[in-house]
Amino acid sequence: MPFTAKPRKFSAGIIEIPLGVGQNAVTIGGGNVLPLYYFDNPAKNPPAVGVEITDTGVEAAGLPELAAYYEGANTPAERAKKAAAMEGADFVCLRFEGADPGGLNRSVADCVAIAKEVVEAINKPLVIAGSKNLEKDVELFSACAEVCSDKNVLFLSAREENYKTIGASCALAYGQKVGAESSVDINLAKQLNVLMTQLGVQPQSIVMNLGSAAAGYGFEYVASTMERVKLAALEQNDTMLQMPVITPVASETWSVKESIMPESDMPEWGSLEERGIEMETVTASACLASGCDAVILRHPTSVKAIAALIAALL
Amino acid sequence: MARFTIIGERIHCISPSIREAMDTKNPEPILKRAKEQIDAGAAYLDVNIGPAESNGEELMKWVVQLIQENFDNHPLCLDTANRKAIEAGISVYNRSKGKPIINSADAGDRIVNIDLAAANDAICLALCSKSGISKDNDERMMYCQEMLERGMSLGMDPADLWFDPLFLVIKGMQDKLMEVLEFIRMCTDMGLNTTGGLSNISNGMPKHIRPIMDSAMLAMAMMSGLTSAIVNPCDQRLMETIKSCDIIRGDTLYADSYLEV
Repeated sequence: MPFTAKPRKFSAGIIEIPLGVGQNAVTIGGGNVLPLYYFDNPAKNPPAVGVEITDTGVEAAGLPELAAYYEGANTPAERAKKAAAMEGADFVCLRFEGADPGGLNRSVADCVAIAKEVVEAINKPLVIAGSKNLEKDVELFSACAEVCSDKNVLFLSAREENYKTIGASCALAYGQKVGAESSVDINLAKQLNVLMTQLGVQPQSIVMNLGSAAAGYGFEYVASTMERVKLAALEQNDTMLQMPVITPVASETWSVKESIMPESDMPEWGSLEERGIEMETVTASACLASGCDAVILRHPTSVKAIAALIAALL
Repeated sequence: MARFTIIGERIHCISPSIREAMDTKNPEPILKRAKEQIDAGAAYLDVNIGPAESNGEELMKWVVQLIQENFDNHPLCLDTANRKAIEAGISVYNRSKGKPIINSADAGDRIVNIDLAAANDAICLALCSKSGISKDNDERMMYCQEMLERGMSLGMDPADLWFDPLFLVIKGMQDKLMEVLEFIRMCTDMGLNTTGGLSNISNGMPKHIRPIMDSAMLAMAMMSGLTSAIVNPCDQRLMETIKSCDIIRGDTLYADSYLEV
């Protein structure tokens, strides 16, 4: 019997959210088919790939290829320029690793100066990720949102504990986009979106960060959460789950043992950098297959591979 | 898979204020009730203009346009015994937010309303009775089949016929309620959509009892697979029951604020 394809397009769709401004803007979301099912309906906006740099730049330590890519770039703004120029990069993510009070504890004023330099140095949209310290991020995001007020920046992320202040300052006061972060908990993901919209933040200003894990570290929960969110958004027309999903992959995958154990300790595992690239690439492709609309990666080899994967599937 | 469809029943010419608004073409009372019901979560609004023998066509057009223009083309359920009025309503109906519903056909004289639905790509409520109340589920199922065959022979999608078992009043026909629920289950097992005027079951009961009884019946009917009902969406207890049952049936994803969305 001949095979007859039955396209499965949904009448509901994922909200389109532009990041950045003018010619440099990138739009994420907007699909109305299951993840990567472009044979059912061509992608409105292909999944976006972001390149992560940190304010400290320490992530390149011990990784010769990555260090070589950023060679000569001594400031976050210089690194951001190189990140934006990376093959396959759609946007840049500046992560304020150094703002963590448990670490370098860089002051908010210093971080703001960095954010300003970075946003002005690049011709791609900017995503600002915090230190993961709940109180510090509130202050940091609010101050950065002000200096980047006309740049349409996405802030990662507001959580259940601090969504009110982050939602009010970033989205309501300065018109930026806000990430709503939950930790692989589908009910909380929806609840946070409800709370943010009740606060007055438009769904068109919210990007979900459903949480992630490196492949092999409980990723099946991540995959199932992402899939169920997409199904609720498309099949059940759940307007509280139709925001696009962004996943910071790099910060998960570059901290697991496969990506940090030196080759000298584990010679049979081979090159450390290759292992890290593989963890990052495998996790990112799994995220895309599960319904993610944007991934954030670190290594040029991974960025190139994932961008090529997306292009090949379009 | 789909969320329970709530058809708001409060724009009904039996209500004195709506009757008067329809007689004098006064938009305010109708818009007020439309807004209350939409805000409360009604996916469809029933518009009952009564038999409207003299001015039905013009009246239905006026109400349909009035509500759709003011509420972003909210979907409507056109409810009258006057067929020409339904046709007139459909002629001005904007279907960008959903097909019109025709309320209603039965297996007797009103079976021609299925033809009307088929000709206009509308949904049709199909009351499983002919003349008077069906005596048992065999009779209901016979009428159900008749209407299903008629719709399908005219090219209708079976999903566009919403079968109404007729919710019988407890005070007087208490022994029939389980049968009604069983009929809903039979339709569900056939993959058919079901609906009905739920609050009929509590007719004649004290006012404070009715929401309790309606909610209990609705939960049992949803357990039997009921996909829609014509209800008062401003009845908070009933709406909380529907939203909770939607969660339990897996038709909506749970969040702590589920009652508020």
